[in-house]
Amino acid sequence: MRIACRPLFAGGMSAAFALTLGLFAAEPARADTVLTLVAADYGTGPADSSQIYWQKIADAFHAANPSITVKVQTVNWNDFDTKIQTMVQNRQYPDVTEGDYFSNYAQEGLLYKASDVLSDPSNLMPAFKTLGSYEGVQYGMPFTTSSRAMFYNKKLFAQAGIAAPPKTWDELMTDAGKIEALGKIGYGMPLGPEEAQAETFLWLLGNGGGFQTADGKWDINSPQNVETLDFMTKLVKAGDTEPNPGTKNRAVILEQFAQGQVGMLNGLTALLPIIKQAGVLKDSDWGTAPIAGKTGPLDTTLGVCDFIAAFKTDGSKQEAIKKFLDFAMQDQYQVDFAQEYNLLPGTTSGAAAFVKVDPALASFVDALPKAVQYPNSPVWAQVKTQIQQLIGTAIGPHPKAVLDSIQQTALKGS
Amino acid sequence: MSLSTLEQGVVAQKRHRPTRFFSRLGPVLWVGPAVLLIAGVVLWPVVIMIETAFQNISPDGFIRGWAGWRNFVFLWQEPDLTGILVRTVIWVATIVVCTMLISLALAQLFNQKFPGRRAARWALIAPWAASVMMTAIVFRWGLDANNGVINVFLHDIGLLARFNSEASDWLGSPGSAFAWMIVVAIFVSVPFSTYALLAGLQSIPSDVYEAARVDGAGVWRTYLGITLPLLRPAFIVALLINVMNVFNSFPIIWEMTRGGPGHQTSTTTTFMYQLKQSYIGESAAMSVVNFGLVLLIVLVYLRVTVWKSGTAEP
Repeated sequence: MRIACRPLFAGGMSAAFALTLGLFAAEPARADTVLTLVAADYGTGPADSSQIYWQKIADAFHAANPSITVKVQTVNWNDFDTKIQTMVQNRQYPDVTEGDYFSNYAQEGLLYKASDVLSDPSNLMPAFKTLGSYEGVQYGMPFTTSSRAMFYNKKLFAQAGIAAPPKTWDELMTDAGKIEALGKIGYGMPLGPEEAQAETFLWLLGNGGGFQTADGKWDINSPQNVETLDFMTKLVKAGDTEPNPGTKNRAVILEQFAQGQVGMLNGLTALLPIIKQAGVLKDSDWGTAPIAGKTGPLDTTLGVCDFIAAFKTDGSKQEAIKKFLDFAMQDQYQVDFAQEYNLLPGTTSGAAAFVKVDPALASFVDALPKAVQYPNSPVWAQVKTQIQQLIGTAIGPHPKAVLDSIQQTALKGS
Repeated sequence: MSLSTLEQGVVAQKRHRPTRFFSRLGPVLWVGPAVLLIAGVVLWPVVIMIETAFQNISPDGFIRGWAGWRNFVFLWQEPDLTGILVRTVIWVATIVVCTMLISLALAQLFNQKFPGRRAARWALIAPWAASVMMTAIVFRWGLDANNGVINVFLHDIGLLARFNSEASDWLGSPGSAFAWMIVVAIFVSVPFSTYALLAGLQSIPSDVYEAARVDGAGVWRTYLGITLPLLRPAFIVALLINVMNVFNSFPIIWEMTRGGPGHQTSTTTTFMYQLKQSYIGESAAMSVVNFGLVLLIVLVYLRVTVWKSGTAEP
């Protein structure tokens, strides 16, 4: 569910520090309401940290509502899930989170319904309504979205004598081999813990597989998934990917693509600012294409959405949260965020406003409604953790055993 | 002692009985706070840990009742557990043995007088004073497959053919990753052990050596017959502290590989942390097992080395 992801070392530490401060500062000396916002950091460094984006909103909001103060903490993507989970386990609930949303929090009754804390929940992008819902009620509020595509380095393709981006797995393997021969990484396969579930999912989709069947039954160790992992293993063994993909996080691979070291990878629009910052590839040096599948390109893609969730705690801050979310979800801020990180908005009116400002990305917005999404299940949090930790070891002689073990996690429940 | 003074003493004792009663209570007043502190900070968490291991707790921290031995059963059923236990033994044994051998040599060196000894002693403190996490991060970047400084060096002297290859990806495959983490762990453990042994060496009186020299003992005979036995108390303390430190070591593995790929470079300590994310009860069960293992090591060790005799011998 996470969209962008550049680790920022200071992020985690400063957030922990801010939390410590927050614990002391939250003492209500006046009747003011203090809201704690914990958000994932989409930035690549201190200059474009999401802390800046949120602080701007928090300041503007405080100016309009002097009795409410919003304390902003941002956490780097590598630690975001663990951080929120630990806060919940310790009963130190944040008031609002922005980043991954897990329906197990809704299942435990910890969250406000979207309709409790937003004046107009119908403006949230309908495509992600199910994903943000638990038992038919929406809790997760789409904040920012993205869809995936294959990014390829045109320069390397030309050097290797490849005319067009690959459409099938076999073509992908041949092309990756040619780029490998140039001394570069043919295909970037980030199966490290950071975002392994996305890369895995895209490969599974290419062979008609997935994490669940159409009727929502866990189907992780299906024969076609095993076949997919076998092919991925073949690709890795041939040396067409970076070495040991199971230990390589996406942030590193995206960075290497931006440095011109990677022939192709499954990426997202958030790669654009990374390419720009690196200053190695010109706009004409790279392109996007549909993601290759076993016998042909995917006709759909993975649609990813990051959500806002509002925690109830003692239930006393509902009005303040509602005021803040109505304020923060305005089109203006939705467009700001999408432009800052090259992502797509999470609200319908925000998307409409964004397309006017940035028509080039209109096709990505249009692709969202039919995009495939992650499973909507309270066990997904555990399953995802298992995939992130273990899927790298499925690259090898026994993919079935690893998939079996992840399937076990799904069936074992939370 | 004359009879009269004895009587006086008895009388004095009788008169001062209440005072003696309070003076017996005196130590309790002094020791009490420390005992309370230990009870609150050490014993109570142990009780909670054991309680948690027998509870059914949701991933979000809600207690759903008692679980009996189920958490332990889940733990034994973890397919990676055997590998993790074996690896933990290798981790502790290799690091502690290497650390102690290196420290014995270094302590001997630093006990000699040579120009610049003060500076050398100070330099040894550096890996100890630096945050272990920082050291681990420095090594992780140094070993980066694409442009790590260690790889660049190996490339420059012609030992590494190309970057982004299997050979340059030290932290990618479990074997080489684990070996490198052991190196880092030894690097950060050596200073403490060296200083503990150095203190031991300095406490050995020089007249013992003089006597040995008079008796015509050679260098090795002196070392094996005098230095090592007299160093035993310091050695045992350093060894024991090292075993527990290394067993509980978390930051090196966490920063360098996060136990990955899979759990193939995890020890019981990092595995316990990873379990916590999803399965709190099972993680507490792992914690109880860890605690038991440390207790066992300490007990076995105290038995084998016969604690007192080391200090009583001289």
